[in-house]
Amino acid sequence: MSNTPRTPAGRPGPGGGAGHHPGRGPVVKPKDWKSTARRLWSYFGHERGLLAFVFGMVVVDSVIMLSAPYLIGVSIDAMAQGKGQVDFGRTQIALAALLVSYITDGALTFAQGWMMAGVSQRMVKRLRHSLFAKVQKLPLRFFDSRPHGELMSRLSNDIDNVSTTVAQALVQVMTGSVAIAGSLIMMLVLSPALTLASLITVPAVVLLTRTIARRTGPLFKEQQVHLGRLNGHVEETISGIHIVKAFNREDKVMAEFEAVNEELRKVGTRALIRSGLLMPVMNVISNVGFAAIAIVGGWLAVKSWITIGVIASFLSYSRQFVRPLNDLANTFNLLQSGLAGAERVFEVLDEQEEPADVPLAKVLSSPAGHVVFNQVSFGYRPDVPILRDISFDVPAGSSIALVGPTGAGKTTIVNLLTRFYDATSGSITIDGQDVKEYTMDSLRRSFGIVLQDTYLFSGTIKDNIRYGKPEATDEQIREAAAMANADPFIRRLPAGYDTVLSENGGNLSQGQRQLLAIARVILSKPSILILDEATSSIDTRTELHIQDALLQIMKGRTTFIIAHRLNTIRNADRIMVIDHGEIVEHGSHDELIRKEGMYYRMFMNQFRNLEGAAG
Amino acid sequence: MRNFRKYIRKYGKFFSVAILFLTIEAVCDLLLPTVMSRMIDNGVARQDLPYIYRLGGLMLLITAAGAVAALIRNFLASRVSQNFGAELRSDLYRKIHTFSFQTIDKFERPSLMTRLTNDVTQVQNFVNGLMRIFVKAPLICIGSLIMAANLNPHLAVVLAVVVPLVGGLIALNMRIGFPLFAKVQHALDRINGTTREYLSGVRVVKAFNRFDHEMEKFDSANENYQERSTIAMRVMSVFSPGVMLIVNFGIVAVIWIGGIRVDAGQMQVGHIMAFIHYMTQILFSLLMIAWVFNMFVRAKTSAERISEILSVNESAERRESVGRAAVDGTGRVDFENVVFSYDGASGDPILKNITLTCLPGETVGIIGSTGSGKSSLVQLIPRFYDVTGGAIRIDGQDIRSFDPHELREKIAVVPQKSILFTGTIRENILWGKEDASSEEVRDAARMAQADEFIASFPEGYDTLLGQGGVNLSGGQKQRLSIARALVRRPEILILDDSTSAVDTATESRIKEAIRQYARGMTCLIIAQRITSVMDADKIVVLDNGEIVGVGRHEELMQSCVAYQEIYRSQIGKEVTAHV
Repeated sequence: MSNTPRTPAGRPGPGGGAGHHPGRGPVVKPKDWKSTARRLWSYFGHERGLLAFVFGMVVVDSVIMLSAPYLIGVSIDAMAQGKGQVDFGRTQIALAALLVSYITDGALTFAQGWMMAGVSQRMVKRLRHSLFAKVQKLPLRFFDSRPHGELMSRLSNDIDNVSTTVAQALVQVMTGSVAIAGSLIMMLVLSPALTLASLITVPAVVLLTRTIARRTGPLFKEQQVHLGRLNGHVEETISGIHIVKAFNREDKVMAEFEAVNEELRKVGTRALIRSGLLMPVMNVISNVGFAAIAIVGGWLAVKSWITIGVIASFLSYSRQFVRPLNDLANTFNLLQSGLAGAERVFEVLDEQEEPADVPLAKVLSSPAGHVVFNQVSFGYRPDVPILRDISFDVPAGSSIALVGPTGAGKTTIVNLLTRFYDATSGSITIDGQDVKEYTMDSLRRSFGIVLQDTYLFSGTIKDNIRYGKPEATDEQIREAAAMANADPFIRRLPAGYDTVLSENGGNLSQGQRQLLAIARVILSKPSILILDEATSSIDTRTELHIQDALLQIMKGRTTFIIAHRLNTIRNADRIMVIDHGEIVEHGSHDELIRKEGMYYRMFMNQFRNLEGAAG
Repeated sequence: MRNFRKYIRKYGKFFSVAILFLTIEAVCDLLLPTVMSRMIDNGVARQDLPYIYRLGGLMLLITAAGAVAALIRNFLASRVSQNFGAELRSDLYRKIHTFSFQTIDKFERPSLMTRLTNDVTQVQNFVNGLMRIFVKAPLICIGSLIMAANLNPHLAVVLAVVVPLVGGLIALNMRIGFPLFAKVQHALDRINGTTREYLSGVRVVKAFNRFDHEMEKFDSANENYQERSTIAMRVMSVFSPGVMLIVNFGIVAVIWIGGIRVDAGQMQVGHIMAFIHYMTQILFSLLMIAWVFNMFVRAKTSAERISEILSVNESAERRESVGRAAVDGTGRVDFENVVFSYDGASGDPILKNITLTCLPGETVGIIGSTGSGKSSLVQLIPRFYDVTGGAIRIDGQDIRSFDPHELREKIAVVPQKSILFTGTIRENILWGKEDASSEEVRDAARMAQADEFIASFPEGYDTLLGQGGVNLSGGQKQRLSIARALVRRPEILILDDSTSAVDTATESRIKEAIRQYARGMTCLIIAQRITSVMDADKIVVLDNGEIVGVGRHEELMQSCVAYQEIYRSQIGKEVTAHV
């Protein structure tokens, strides 16, 4: 009898009290449950034996518990003759047996729960670990091509689903099946006639639950759609509430809300009424079964074909038979959504990883930084080329600026250089070696990248600055911060370098975050520096202050600069104008201005309004 | 729970009726074992077949009565809970729209959303559950106790031992369980936090090659979660067999004591059977009560969160909306010693002593570093926030004397972040002026330099935008949001850094178009790029919440250090040499 209702504050279990919201939301079905189940099984590793043992206990326990109603029946029969005729010997034996089976059940249930907790949680831990380890190895393409929310849900919800499946649903399916089969056999052995009477209700159960489920399924789906619509509306109007107010649209959006809300209410009521029928219907059927057993059993007992004890046993058996039948549908749904979750987890595990290092890959240590692109082509999707036949040469220690309209392919060049993506054709070399021939680790370590969206991790400022070089001393951290002009504001913070940042440094201004990111790069002493719109989210005055810091670290390093604001790149050794994935022109600022080409037009455009003022 | 009184009054009647039917249902369930016990003791023992049939019929009748009650109850419960939920949701939504921005900021928008959706659903489910099983469980429990005690007071002694024991065990279980599961939840949050951080920072992790570090961080969270959840599950695995064992011992005791009494001729066998039946019912209802309690705790948290919104008692919005209807004015804006700080913010105010006049038809540029207070300054004009000190006047009248609706009718704002709504492009532009003609819509789009790209869509103005305009680029969104403001022909136009994603050439075309169109319109432009404001009639330079310079470009180049710095940072010294 491990039909335990849900534990406090625990996850919803399918047992006892949980079956009261049947079919909330559509059940997601796994595509190929067989191979998913097999693979899940393999995750138990060397604990498979232990798990099989636990399952064995579950089965044994269920079988033992089948004897309880029979023993109750025997003891009832022993006293059925009434006054003075009670057969205490038989009663004692039956009760002793009953006690033994109850105690065994208690011990088995406990042991099984205890062991299952260990096995299932260890297995889930392993699964989580390998999923996260896998995610580490996935190329950037994987992250760029899907929303974070979806990934998050695979990493959390789906794994939780798997763990619930393993810990509860499986056990319940097993107990349930044994209980159903065992009860049926016991009933048949005790009295085939009474069995027939108590089984009258079974077709009704199956038929009615099927009918109700068939009707409620689509209704719940419809409710889900309306709920989605309501959530969408709320999200949109609440996050844009200042626009709603600015344009005096309160009444309009409220009317829209009312309409969606009303639809939801209607569908929700219908769905609830339909699905709510299930419980009372099951209750009625089980009561009818109860009455049927009492009537037919009474008649049979009067005719002396069975004893009263058999009726007593039957009342329990029919209960054990119907209840799991009822739960089994729920449990099965749970099992299915667990397997579907596992399947989604495995999908991630099967994703293609970042290419492994080639055999005998070289370690790139403190390179001079001579970068050459040789006829490089690339597209994030095969049918949409981003870069076409790009070739250029950046001498060690020089700086090159990439300019051009949004989507021209500037960031893509950087993505290829750092091997966030690999070129479709052509080759990229650093100090004369193809980038693919270096170890990924040493290659990436040679770069220092400052992005437009600085990402900081939760932790102290100190931890964030030394992210690229964990062994750095406090002194080195302070030096780096000073070079990035970050030291003054850090010192002003109440906790200084030990100030704890909230997720993504929410408690700092954009400019301050950028300074920390620059300090982070300075500390890691990269050979090649990449500034990808590093200063475009800071205002120009603040930028002016960072500029010095940047110039400082650019000294002697090969530097790639991507910027919208043309004034920031004017000092680069060379400027490359990129449009539609091709190099349109290149040269120094002065050369390009003289050429009066695309760069000239872009530059003049930015300063068009200046003429009158400056002249 | 004061805030829910309204709903109790409204739905209380139906709720009580539903509970009444639920009680009938429970009583029917409770009667069955007693009837059965009579049938066995009187019918079977005396071989009285007609009696068996009669009582059997009675059992079926009771079942039928229970079924009817259940059907009615189901119908009522579904309707009441859904209507209640819908009304609560709608009230909340309305309430939120009366909030001032100070209040909205205090709650934070995502939290407002969850309150409106998840929390309402939680409460609604709980109310529904109340009318289904939550009330039934205690009824069955108490009823079973009464019936059992009534059936045979001597056997009830067993109950007197078993029930408190089980009750105590369940209570202990919850006492120990709650904190354990809270810890599990906490550990899970940590795992999710680590994962979310990794996903957001994946580029940085890859760039610095800190896989091992991230893996270590994740593994420690993972390890922690595994430990805690194993402990929690193991503690639970002690309790449920414990409860079962006690009840099962009770059953054995009932049979044993019953046997002795039957032998003494003091009772009959049927009683024992009925008693066992009642005992299992009590057990299940006790476990159910534990579960209900758990649900209650969850619903209570949600109800409190909803209550927080309902009980907000403020109307900065409408507090002084007794005010007069705004007359058509010319759009002159005066700031008089305006001081402003956000609620609860400590330290220096965001704006200090701002005094400024924008004449009708004037274009005023506002420039300054991030955090200098530019956006806050213009947000005060449509009364998104009210000034902390000083006053803002439009056409000579303090804006706090206007009805906010009337006031906002005069103003059009193009915010920093362009926010569009699900619907067609046309519908989005119509936000500015509901009854605008197609011609007006197209004109506005043309001025905002949006007509061209709109026309390039196959569906043109009827192109459907996804939520937040996801299918448009940043620059396109900004231009639509400008068109939305222009279609309104406001007296005062506020552009809050709203051309940042538009290239400079397009920006100047937009500005030119506005200049043509907006003769007499007061125009406030906040900008990052100095070129965006250079030709304004008046440029205001803000620094740390203070005005450090006002004037035309040439004047400021002479007199204002901060302005010169901004100029240098964007244009540089050498530029003049090239041009």
